Amino acid sequence: MDNLQTYLYISAILFSLGLYGVITRRNGIAVLMGVELILNSANINFVAFARFGGMNFSGQVFALFVIIMAAAEAAVALAIIINVFNNLDTVNIDDARELKL
Amino acid sequence: MNNLLSISLFLPELVLTATIIIAIIVDIFSVSNRTSKVSNYVIIGLLATLAAVFLTNHSPTTLFMDSLAFDPFASFIKSVVLVATLLIIIFTRYSNEFKGYHTGEYYALLCIMVFGMFLMASAIDLITVYLSIEVVSLMSFILAGYLKNNPRSNEASLKYVIYGAFSSGIMLYGLSIIFGLTGTTKFFAIRDAITTLDSSSNLALTLSTVFVLAGFGYKISAVPFHFWTPDVYEGSPTPITAYLSVAPKAAGFALMIRFFNQVFVDGDSLSTLGWYADVSFAWPEILGVISVVTMTMGNLVAIQQNSVKRMLAYSSIAHAGYMLMAFPTISSEGVFAVMIYLVMYLFMNLGAFFVLIYVAQKQGGENFEHFSGLGWRMPIVGIVMTIFMFSLTGLPPTVGFIGKFYLFVAVINAGSAFYWIAFFGAINTVVSLYFYMRVVKTMYLDGNPSEEIIVPPLSVTLILLVLAVPSVFFGIYWTPILNWVNNSLLFFVQI
Amino acid sequence: MYRDFGTVLIFAMLAIVLVYVPLFIQSLVAPSQKTPDKLDNYECGEEPEGSAWVQFNIRFYVIALIFLIFDVEVVFLFPWAMVFKEMGMVAFIEMGIFLLILIVGLAYVWKKGDLDWVKYNVKYGRGRYRQKASQTEGEAVGSI
Repeated sequence: MDNLQTYLYISAILFSLGLYGVITRRNGIAVLMGVELILNSANINFVAFARFGGMNFSGQVFALFVIIMAAAEAAVALAIIINVFNNLDTVNIDDARELKL
Repeated sequence: MNNLLSISLFLPELVLTATIIIAIIVDIFSVSNRTSKVSNYVIIGLLATLAAVFLTNHSPTTLFMDSLAFDPFASFIKSVVLVATLLIIIFTRYSNEFKGYHTGEYYALLCIMVFGMFLMASAIDLITVYLSIEVVSLMSFILAGYLKNNPRSNEASLKYVIYGAFSSGIMLYGLSIIFGLTGTTKFFAIRDAITTLDSSSNLALTLSTVFVLAGFGYKISAVPFHFWTPDVYEGSPTPITAYLSVAPKAAGFALMIRFFNQVFVDGDSLSTLGWYADVSFAWPEILGVISVVTMTMGNLVAIQQNSVKRMLAYSSIAHAGYMLMAFPTISSEGVFAVMIYLVMYLFMNLGAFFVLIYVAQKQGGENFEHFSGLGWRMPIVGIVMTIFMFSLTGLPPTVGFIGKFYLFVAVINAGSAFYWIAFFGAINTVVSLYFYMRVVKTMYLDGNPSEEIIVPPLSVTLILLVLAVPSVFFGIYWTPILNWVNNSLLFFVQI
Repeated sequence: MYRDFGTVLIFAMLAIVLVYVPLFIQSLVAPSQKTPDKLDNYECGEEPEGSAWVQFNIRFYVIALIFLIFDVEVVFLFPWAMVFKEMGMVAFIEMGIFLLILIVGLAYVWKKGDLDWVKYNVKYGRGRYRQKASQTEGEAVGSI
């Protein structure tokens, strides 16, 4: 259990789940959840590499910054989605089709 | 350089931070809706930042323990971004799209975005790469949706935030794999580590670089990652559209140049065409294909548009494709050409967008029919728009021609392996002639010319001249720009 | 040390088994007749009205967003606290500047009225909140 491979597998699974969520979900909030999974899979990678690779602290520092950025991104995205809901009465990405694609 | 010593070279960013904070504080304490006060402070702050960029002279070095580079190339990109921002602030003050909105924080957000682009221009560490891209992206999301009650603006920001968050997530995963392979986040250490990698990690390295390319490609809206561009550009307030099509793109190109140069190429002299053959898979070819597809897609779809704003959005995709032409060569000549093109593109594209803002205000819309007969009714606007359209096509004697000229020279000089890119570039230029000239044709040949003549107010004329005169002047006498770019083509290099 | 966790693992597995085996068995035994009424939400025997996706008051989200930002910034304080003794005054000043910037943000939120439960100076969108806002707050709806 306690080796690098395990963590890489977990992170790869998380990444795939996130990707799947982003691609299949049409609900804005669900897409954001998928993105969060992707970000956290990268986080696991960073911390695991830093822990097992015998590397310096860059990995952990990177993970800290990613946590902050993920929070900021979630805040901005949620604010935008609330605003969209306010105006268009939907959080579904496909329903927002005022602009032709 | 250690943290305390770097602060003196970090002066532009510090001035910018002070500007941001002052803008917010002024906004808090301003009682009325008079937000032009904030923009005044911000303009002064940005001018001070520009002065600081020129004043901080030092031989190329790194700041904050190798996380940021300080070199003439970064200063060049910073100045381009600052000039674009100043123009956009003036556009915003003029535009009537923001009527009824509180624009105090708008300027603060714009400044934060500038800060992010400063970091993008000088990032040489994966952490700063990610942070800077995110800062710029987050601010663009908010600014694209700034018109809170306008459903189109809302939708633009929704699409932007979805695509942006997704591609930055993909990029982050790629960065994490690069970190794992090389054990470091510094560009130069990564380069050293890559040369010693055995061939079993080639696949992982290639995959991670593709992931990172997704992040960069999204920032400069290169083709497989361009889906957000037309919608976001159309839905955003026009000043923001203009801004997004110029400044973040310049910063994105800067980041991409630095990343590919310093990680995959020798990074210093830039004179060799040597990608590290053993680890890189066909990067020049892939970048070449991306470039060709980007410009072709941009141009072909731009032809079909009825809205001038959307046409300009697609044309900005095509221009990203032109600039990407120089990437596969990865020579100092290529980087030189991209830098020149960025300056030239700044004038012509912002100019076209400002004409669009003005016309939309006077004619009540942004479609081609609103431009019909404009050349006769508003002679000054008509002539100026014609200049910008000529320039965007790349016809002499305008800046667009000079920019394209250097790009093509760089591609052709790089050897016969790249001729096909130049070939497609030339075909695309001809294609783009069609829709740019359509604007000119609509202005002069359509509609009835027998209406009264509208002369724009002095302020508008002044802005138009500020953008149009350089568009022609630098097309005839471009030595100043050439010298500036020449002096700026100096990267920080670790021996 | 691992052996201690072994006990925990056994308990965890036992818990999972005890939950899922009965569920599995009953899914084999129980008859399955799906009628629209059965698939509906249970609302104390009443006919469900509207979607289960009810609106939370939008103010919850705003407060939550603000909390999220200020909560996560603390992440920077922990590493700082670790090295504070070595770095001394410099670290103190740096963190002071950082917090000062955050406080400016807090002041901004405060001034804009986002910390008030009833926000007086907001013009709502054209969506459903507009009517509600004008009903409940009446004259209070001003310009942004």
